[in-house]
Amino acid sequence: MRIGIVCPYSLDVPGGVQNHVRDLAEALIGMGHSVSVLAPGEDDSGLPPYVVPAGRSVPVRYNGSVARLSFGPISATRVRRWLASGHFDVLHVHEPVTPSLSMLAVLSARGPVVATFHTAMTRSRTMAAVQGMLQLVLERITARIAVSDLARKVQVEHLGGSAWEIPNGVAIARFATATPLPGWPGPDGAIGFLGRYTEPRKGFDLLRTAWVRLASDRPGLRLLVAGPGEPEAALEGVPAALRDQIVLLGKVSETDKARMLRSVDCYVAPNTGGESFGMILTEAMAAGTPVVASDLDAFRRVLDAGRAGVLFPAGDADALARALATLLDSPKRRAALVERAAGVVSAYDWRVVAERVLEVYATAIEVEVGTVVTDEPDTGS
Amino acid sequence: MRDMGWMVVVVLAAVLLSLYVTWTAGRVDRLHARAAAADAALDAHLVRRAAAAASLAEAAQHVPLMYAARIALDVPSQDREAAENDLTRQLRAVVAPDDPAFSAVISANRRVALARQVHTDVVRDALRARRRFTVRVLRLAVKHPVPTYFDIDDPTLDRAARPVTVLRKVRRSTDGAVPDASQPAPGHA
Repeated sequence: MRIGIVCPYSLDVPGGVQNHVRDLAEALIGMGHSVSVLAPGEDDSGLPPYVVPAGRSVPVRYNGSVARLSFGPISATRVRRWLASGHFDVLHVHEPVTPSLSMLAVLSARGPVVATFHTAMTRSRTMAAVQGMLQLVLERITARIAVSDLARKVQVEHLGGSAWEIPNGVAIARFATATPLPGWPGPDGAIGFLGRYTEPRKGFDLLRTAWVRLASDRPGLRLLVAGPGEPEAALEGVPAALRDQIVLLGKVSETDKARMLRSVDCYVAPNTGGESFGMILTEAMAAGTPVVASDLDAFRRVLDAGRAGVLFPAGDADALARALATLLDSPKRRAALVERAAGVVSAYDWRVVAERVLEVYATAIEVEVGTVVTDEPDTGS
Repeated sequence: MRDMGWMVVVVLAAVLLSLYVTWTAGRVDRLHARAAAADAALDAHLVRRAAAAASLAEAAQHVPLMYAARIALDVPSQDREAAENDLTRQLRAVVAPDDPAFSAVISANRRVALARQVHTDVVRDALRARRRFTVRVLRLAVKHPVPTYFDIDDPTLDRAARPVTVLRKVRRSTDGAVPDASQPAPGHA
């Protein structure tokens, strides 16, 4: 199958959507399909061979981070040229309802179009104001995918359509084979956390409270923390004697994330809310690390209702400390969790996920006539 | 001179209007062609699922499933929705979602669910286009039959995969009952 994928964000900047597009493209190529990815960017140096740069990108603050978007006449021309020369059987755009390359591609194309929605954005005034224009974009889309239940609900409630839920994939092999950081996890046990530890919803303070309690009667128990933030904020309220047992890695690359997850005896996701899927849990499971997570709906689902990881009541530091103590004391229980987690996480392997995406492509192709072509204005039909 | 100016304005307006009408007519045709194709695709996937269920029933000597599959294949179109719901219920009773022995029927069933969801979306888009003022006044849609929803329960077999209770917001639109393909109907999930 000839597949054209559009990524709205520049691929040389790390990010959830970019990783998703890259992994999906590589999985599809590995299955023998021909894939071209159109993404913002000026030249193709350092980009994978299947990526086509669509022109200069403009940094835009969006959803708490800086995204680089392409939108303008030059990009529009490149989109048309890419579509015309690609002869795609299906066009797959990501995040098409923000003004981006994806939206341009949808508006320039005719034929089978599949869209994936990643963000669980809430309804905004802007969105309500442009609903009529949005309808023009939405009705060009043949089939919609949401990566989480939350993103799917947003579809149903705000955009007036439904979406087929296909979770984010995990490159299992990459996590399973990563080398632990030197000296980790060590003989006295180590616990891991990844995320913005200054953000209350990530629940890091709960983990810190639980860890301080455990570390007081378990000498040498270490805490490995990855994620952006001021070191002082992470160490707040920690007794001076224990401070050097907390190791802060700062913001980590994808490679270091995999290594970090392999470096601990337990991974903890103490989030108190706001998590739409729990990607990090599938990654920890792929890395073969037992997971302890708060009992949010998304986590409960990923952890197979507690069979593939330990769930504790969200916000309860005592319960978290107890759960961690039990796990740290029982290598047998950890091994059992890891084994069940391996079974659960195999459903998230990119190969499996890409098969599901191909089914959506097939459905879109059945519903539209012909292949993807550029929309020539003025010809009407 | 002033007359010339008016002429230009009138001609320009006429050109723009005719462009808009042509564009709208093309849009209406496209949405209806897509709805018709979605209908054919959904039909094909339903037949495939019933055939897979029939061969499973034969292999397992399961008489109720056999009947449900045969009825789904032969039923007249006005009774089809009920027959397909019945087949879904029979499949749920028989199929273990994780057992590879059922993979053919599980995969056929998933394609039904997907085809039906896309069908619902494209029918909704076509119906919405039909309600547009220009389309109604110029009768741009009369040559197309009115697309209809295929109103069956969410045919998911894996009951654990999706929560039964989902937020359901009443939409402002005048569609009347808009079945939501992605959510199980109360009482059957």
